[in-house]
Amino acid sequence: MSALVKTLHPDEKIKAGNIGKTMVKAGVAIAVVFFAISIILTLTGSASGGHVSKWSRFLHAYVIGWAYIFSISVGMIWIVMLHYLVRGRWVTAVRRIAEAMACAFPIIFVAGLGFIIPLLLGYQDLYYWAHPDAHNHELNHHLIHKLGWLSPSAFAVRYVIYAVIFSGLAWYFMKKSREQDETGDPKITDKLRIVSAPAMILFSLAVFFVSFDVLMSMAPKWYSTMYGVNFWGSAGIGAFSAFALVVLGIQRTGRLTHSVTAEHYHDIGKWMYSFTFFWAYTAFSQFMLQWYGNMPEETHWYKYRMFGEWKWVSILMIVGYWAFPFAILMSRWTKRIVPALVFFAVWQLVFHWLDLYWNVMPSYDWSVAYHDGARVVAGPLTGSTSAHHVGFSPVDITVWIALIGVFLIGLGRNLKGNLIPTKDPTLPLSLAHEVQ
Amino acid sequence: MANNHDNHDEHHESAPVSADGDLYGVLAEYDTPGELLEAARKVRDAGYTEFDTYSPFPVHGMDEAMGIKRTILPLVVWGGGFTGLVGAVFLQWWMNAYNWPWNISGKPAWSIPANIPIAFEGTILFSVLSCFFGMWILNKLPQVWHPFFRSDRFARVTDDAFVLGIQANDKRFDANTTTKLLQDAGAIGVENVYLETDPGRKTMPKWIFAFIVASTAFALIPFAIAAKARNSHSAEPHFHIFPDMDFQPKYKSDSAMDLFADGRANRGEISGTIARGQLNGDDEFYRGLAHGTGGDQWTTGFPKQLEVNDRLVERGQNRFNIYCAPCHGYDGRGLGTVPQRVAAGGGAWPARNLVEAGGIVVKMPNGQLFNTISNGMGTMQGYATQIPHADRWAIVLYVRALQRSQHAADTDVPAEQKGSIR
Repeated sequence: MSALVKTLHPDEKIKAGNIGKTMVKAGVAIAVVFFAISIILTLTGSASGGHVSKWSRFLHAYVIGWAYIFSISVGMIWIVMLHYLVRGRWVTAVRRIAEAMACAFPIIFVAGLGFIIPLLLGYQDLYYWAHPDAHNHELNHHLIHKLGWLSPSAFAVRYVIYAVIFSGLAWYFMKKSREQDETGDPKITDKLRIVSAPAMILFSLAVFFVSFDVLMSMAPKWYSTMYGVNFWGSAGIGAFSAFALVVLGIQRTGRLTHSVTAEHYHDIGKWMYSFTFFWAYTAFSQFMLQWYGNMPEETHWYKYRMFGEWKWVSILMIVGYWAFPFAILMSRWTKRIVPALVFFAVWQLVFHWLDLYWNVMPSYDWSVAYHDGARVVAGPLTGSTSAHHVGFSPVDITVWIALIGVFLIGLGRNLKGNLIPTKDPTLPLSLAHEVQ
Repeated sequence: MANNHDNHDEHHESAPVSADGDLYGVLAEYDTPGELLEAARKVRDAGYTEFDTYSPFPVHGMDEAMGIKRTILPLVVWGGGFTGLVGAVFLQWWMNAYNWPWNISGKPAWSIPANIPIAFEGTILFSVLSCFFGMWILNKLPQVWHPFFRSDRFARVTDDAFVLGIQANDKRFDANTTTKLLQDAGAIGVENVYLETDPGRKTMPKWIFAFIVASTAFALIPFAIAAKARNSHSAEPHFHIFPDMDFQPKYKSDSAMDLFADGRANRGEISGTIARGQLNGDDEFYRGLAHGTGGDQWTTGFPKQLEVNDRLVERGQNRFNIYCAPCHGYDGRGLGTVPQRVAAGGGAWPARNLVEAGGIVVKMPNGQLFNTISNGMGTMQGYATQIPHADRWAIVLYVRALQRSQHAADTDVPAEQKGSIR
């Protein structure tokens, strides 16, 4: 303790060995079992929420689950780039694990085809903008001008661009970092720092547009420029909570036991905590401006969350996702004592899912209007608030767990070789890291 | 800075700064932060308590090495933040909801979302202030003078020196053993520091005192000017800070101007002409007049340009709720938020009841109602500049619907819906 630099402990186990393969196996088992359960539940169920297709609930849950695993990798590529950018030190000891979690992107984007392909095949009951009645001029005169951007083909093209950006960033940073393990060239660190600056801009824009496309377009008539920041804030909570659990899980296998200390958990906990507040800050900023402005094209999104059944979920979010973790995670000791940190990591991972559920599911109930005797689907966030149900379904959970399995496959594939960047010039500083 | 003892670095001996006063303590310099850390641990283990370490930057692990307890500053900040939160919420409640409640467009006097930004700011402000001043108090700041300042070695602490100082009033202090302890810990130089004996050098320099007095006096000038202005009269014009903004080279409407024969800056419409698009020739649509055999009268129907249907009623309701409801109320009975506000202040300013049976509004022909919206009546202003003609007709239609709804009979209900009325 208390030296400024440290070298790797001679007994340290830094090789991944078989944990990657074990994790892939576990991920495949979870994904197969829970997708099977979800499909059986869907086939034996019936259509609801004003939808014609019985797959609508499954696909809504799929979008939530996809955004969930996507957001975890988003937070991880962000911390990797940030630490190069600002010459951060503490994260180096755990950076390889963050890189591996970010490298789940290719698998995540393959999994996302689960809702992209139905859209391309003309599926109408997931995104209202893909429904023919979105073009109804009487009902949707201020939606029609968005339908060029929000069309299945344009959506799919952008999806491919997002896949290339995120997978490319994760792949590049992992490749260069592993290259440094071989050559020990400190210039790689400098080069990655220079790359990080434009990469960070590209990343920010891409995260924004993914959140606009995948989540916000669930309510296509709504406007909010704050949405992307808010999604990123929530992603940070989920990502650092998952990070704490993955690092701890790897330590439990006897690896990295000397290198990763309470100091590193403390810093991961600090990020969990600061994102918890940041999420609440942006969520309230988005809410208050729209609440005060009181314009129907903005307030309708909140109307269905403030009144009716969803009100209780909104209150639960304020208390559970912000107030409780904010008050307790504030203390230094909550972040340094591992069981306490694990409790909040699991807690916030559940609430991160609830946040995405709260963002997407109020758009599930579609109402129907009659115009000149013809039946017209008016889409999400229309009609009576009392007709909008939380309508919790077991499929919501099983699809989510199945997609966590998918994430474990993506992570496990990349847990190989060194679990720590052995020749990174900042590693000695990270190993000696101490939180003041 | 004068230094009579340049040689003590080379000889590693405790050469005095100037042995004119009592011994205050011993300073030892170390080469690296790591050695300073080790020395601090040794001094602590030897049982010393009255010592401190000085370095150009924070050295990680120093708190633990010196045996310093964790600071209570977080608790101070928490208390400050909580006080700020409660104070800000109370401030807003007391001002807005209790002491001076004021009806602003019908918005509630007490509403949690509207109060959160100030509560947030109050929490941050008090946290930061208690952190800043709490740190000062816990560190016994401000401290403008310290006996160690007499040492040139100590002056380099803000640059490149790592120094440990032990005070002579420590219970374990002994001039010889303490010096030996510090040297054994690897010091590259140890020196004694003595207290000042010259009383003139113990007081604050006069120029600093003069500066504080002068700057305080200077800071009071704006207050003095404000106080003078509040208690005196002046015939002089205002002082103009931005004269080019206050006196712009332009004329405002209805102001005087010598250039034209009529002495006015306004150039009105040329007589006998009408601007493009402003003909408004249809008297019924634009003025609510019907040309009949008995001369002009208010029209009783609706202009032919408008289709009287559900959408026009809905449009009228929408416009009515924006422009008319603040005074006349959503139901047209004259109990909008403006009359309510006046009543809350102890006054009485009722708006016209638009739906009163046999009242003048019920009796008004459509055209006159349209004219009243356009040009106003009594204390009501005209809305011609704010509401387009078609929307004014939509409001007329909606007022008729309101009047009908307030005096509906059983026979007005469609037969198929009768069952749903109890």
